[in-house]
Amino acid sequence: MNTVFALATVVIKELYRRKDFYVLFVMTAVITLVMGSVSFFNDPKIVRYLKEICLLLIWISALVIAIGTTARQIPAERENRTIFPLLAKPVTRGQVVAGKFAGCWLACALALLMFYVFFCVISGTREGNWSLLQNFQAFWLQCAMVGVVVALVLLGSVIFTAPSSNATISFVVVIGILLLGRHLNQVALHQPEPLRTLVYTIYFLIPHLEWYDVRDFVIYDQGAIAWVDCLLATLYAAVYATLLLFATWLVFRRKPLNL
Amino acid sequence: MDTILETKNLRVEFKAQGSRQGKKIAVNDLNLKVYAGEVFGFLGPNGAGKTTTMNVLLGFVNATAGDAFLFGVNVREPIARQRIGYLPELTYYYKFLTAEELLRFYARIFRIPSAETEKRIDELLKLVELEHARKRPIKTYSKGMQQRVGLAQALINDPDLLILDEPTSGLDPLGRMKVREIIQRLKNEGKTVFFSSHELGEVETVCDRVAIINQGQLKVEGRVADLVEQYQANLEMIFLKIIGYDVQIPMAPGPSATTLREQHTPKMQQTTALHS
Amino acid sequence: MRRIFHPILILILLLAATFSLATLVQPRAQGWDKRGKSGNVLTLLLGDSRRMFANHFFVKADVSFHSGYYPSIFDQAEKPKGSGHMTSEEGSPEAEEHERKMSFLGEPRDWVERFGRHFFITHHTHLENGNEREILPWLKLSAELDPQRIDTYVVASYWLRNRLGKVSEAEEFLRQGLRNNPNNYELLYEMGCLYNENYHDSSRARHIWELALRRWHEQEPAKKEPDLIDLDKITIHLARLEEHEGNWDRAIEYLEAAMKSSPNPDVLRQQIEELKAKQRDPKTAKESSRG
Repeated sequence: MNTVFALATVVIKELYRRKDFYVLFVMTAVITLVMGSVSFFNDPKIVRYLKEICLLLIWISALVIAIGTTARQIPAERENRTIFPLLAKPVTRGQVVAGKFAGCWLACALALLMFYVFFCVISGTREGNWSLLQNFQAFWLQCAMVGVVVALVLLGSVIFTAPSSNATISFVVVIGILLLGRHLNQVALHQPEPLRTLVYTIYFLIPHLEWYDVRDFVIYDQGAIAWVDCLLATLYAAVYATLLLFATWLVFRRKPLNL
Repeated sequence: MDTILETKNLRVEFKAQGSRQGKKIAVNDLNLKVYAGEVFGFLGPNGAGKTTTMNVLLGFVNATAGDAFLFGVNVREPIARQRIGYLPELTYYYKFLTAEELLRFYARIFRIPSAETEKRIDELLKLVELEHARKRPIKTYSKGMQQRVGLAQALINDPDLLILDEPTSGLDPLGRMKVREIIQRLKNEGKTVFFSSHELGEVETVCDRVAIINQGQLKVEGRVADLVEQYQANLEMIFLKIIGYDVQIPMAPGPSATTLREQHTPKMQQTTALHS
Repeated sequence: MRRIFHPILILILLLAATFSLATLVQPRAQGWDKRGKSGNVLTLLLGDSRRMFANHFFVKADVSFHSGYYPSIFDQAEKPKGSGHMTSEEGSPEAEEHERKMSFLGEPRDWVERFGRHFFITHHTHLENGNEREILPWLKLSAELDPQRIDTYVVASYWLRNRLGKVSEAEEFLRQGLRNNPNNYELLYEMGCLYNENYHDSSRARHIWELALRRWHEQEPAKKEPDLIDLDKITIHLARLEEHEGNWDRAIEYLEAAMKSSPNPDVLRQQIEELKAKQRDPKTAKESSRG
């Protein structure tokens, strides 16, 4: 674990020394503040549109940071040959995979925390209601989702040679799941066999990332989600991420270290 | 004497791209021993299999057949690398880290306590003369500075075995002298150094024993002094002869000489006599 | 010196050529693209695709009205058609039909769907108690992107004046709609409602409704399917206004006109009879109007 956290620390340092996070945070803040300054029909109490815009930007930023950061981890180690002095230490490839995952996930979680603190301040001061529990749930579930995304992209990084192709494919897959994952069973019912079975199989196999998108609960003040459901969703994400990381290790251990 | 590094019938094959034969034998039944406290030179022309052998020792590549051991532990076990330090030929480190952070990171992998880590970092940065740049990111370093950072990270765990791949490559004469001094110092401390180099003059100066490989096979192994005496030539001449350049050196079997095969080569002028 | 001189001369020559060509091309280019003539930034940036975005934001307002409970494109059949439900009163046939159509979820088909329903809104609600304000930004955005979309102004105006107490803002928004869509009878009708119900200015309301009626007769009869529902609404409102003012003849006239387009002519016939009775007996009419 010590090695894993040492590797994770390096990844976190890389994230906050790169410009990505700051650009996205500033962009989110500026757009939110500009939209917040607009007056609609002289009503200062309107707040949901602002929450919706801010949360949308947070989700986009989180995906950009998660996929962008993770997609280049292992390929950059191989391309820059930093993998050699690393593996010359008593470090296994499995620890490298675990360390990269932990680093990317923790880095994204820290970034998300900053975003959500900003969101809480904006919505709380505007609405007069801080909704800390709901906001925390939304943050927690999004962190869980980011864990699955990071694991998925890490797997892609050992399969695809170029980080750019991995990032593109990962974006398409993740956004596809977020938009369509919930409806695939409905789509399957309208298909003839064998397409129906195929679509249904995909429906059951994909990680259901759409469960973790609880923005509507926050925007429309629909109360907190049952903690049991949150726990089960977290467990699902943990199991899925572990599965993907195991697959990553299986592929990576046979990979030559040179590109 | 303790055997620090050992290979037994080590064989490494790769799939050859674009070749009719289908595979390339990079290392062919290599049997090597390095003993504690010695400086061992691992020599060979480009493509001889030196880097592949080192990659196996470091666990980067799995052997097709045979075994390799470090401190009696099979190299497939990560723990085998607990007491080694490695300096790669091409020194690339995390550019966004400072030298200090890099050393602290590697020290943490070796589970060195914090107080000890800080002490070692100070000592090593002083040794490699990077104190003035310790807080600068590595991306601002020159090649020579990066090489020195590499040396520092190879020594962070106070290794008993140092594996150096072309340690003086790219260094100016001053830098090379410093590396030689460090190797000598390590030897005086009882450490074992295993390194490859094309600078045969340096090898002859610092090494106790050498091995020369060519086309994946061990051609000769022995004490430098013995080989020089045996061939009555300097190491460079011996090297050229062994890899197939026809240098007219009369041969006689010695206590640690391996049988040589002569090949058709351009003629050299120098002739030496062997002493039995 | 010569070497530095030549590239600078070439650069100056190229710049001069660029500016000269621009003066030649500019008059011709003006006719190529109408978008450039628009003074609106959004029209310039988006062109006609702004209507698609406007529609999206109008739907967003509807989603907001339902607090996130909304059919997806996969539940298209059940998607609310039009915006009548956003301004319909509870208990009206329109509202009940809408209620029925919004029960699109059904029973979960598998455990994944069953579990997934804990993470999105699954119950049908409408905004109330002042929270209707939350749909306004989307309507405003929709109007900015597509000023020719009438629904936007009508829906926004309805909520502004009826539930949020912002009558002047509703009037201003309707006027903006009328500036962008001169002589639109729907907007005129809504403006008339505003003057009648909120400003209690029946004289002005009458004038606006009469104008709306004239515009309807100018625009709708030529169409294959004239919008009879709007005609019905305008004529009935005029009839009610005249009845309230005691102008029985005018009220009956409007009700008779409404009968031609009404889905419930018998109800209107009965109301005409009642008005005729009141016309014959003014005392009874006064008492009933006080009651």
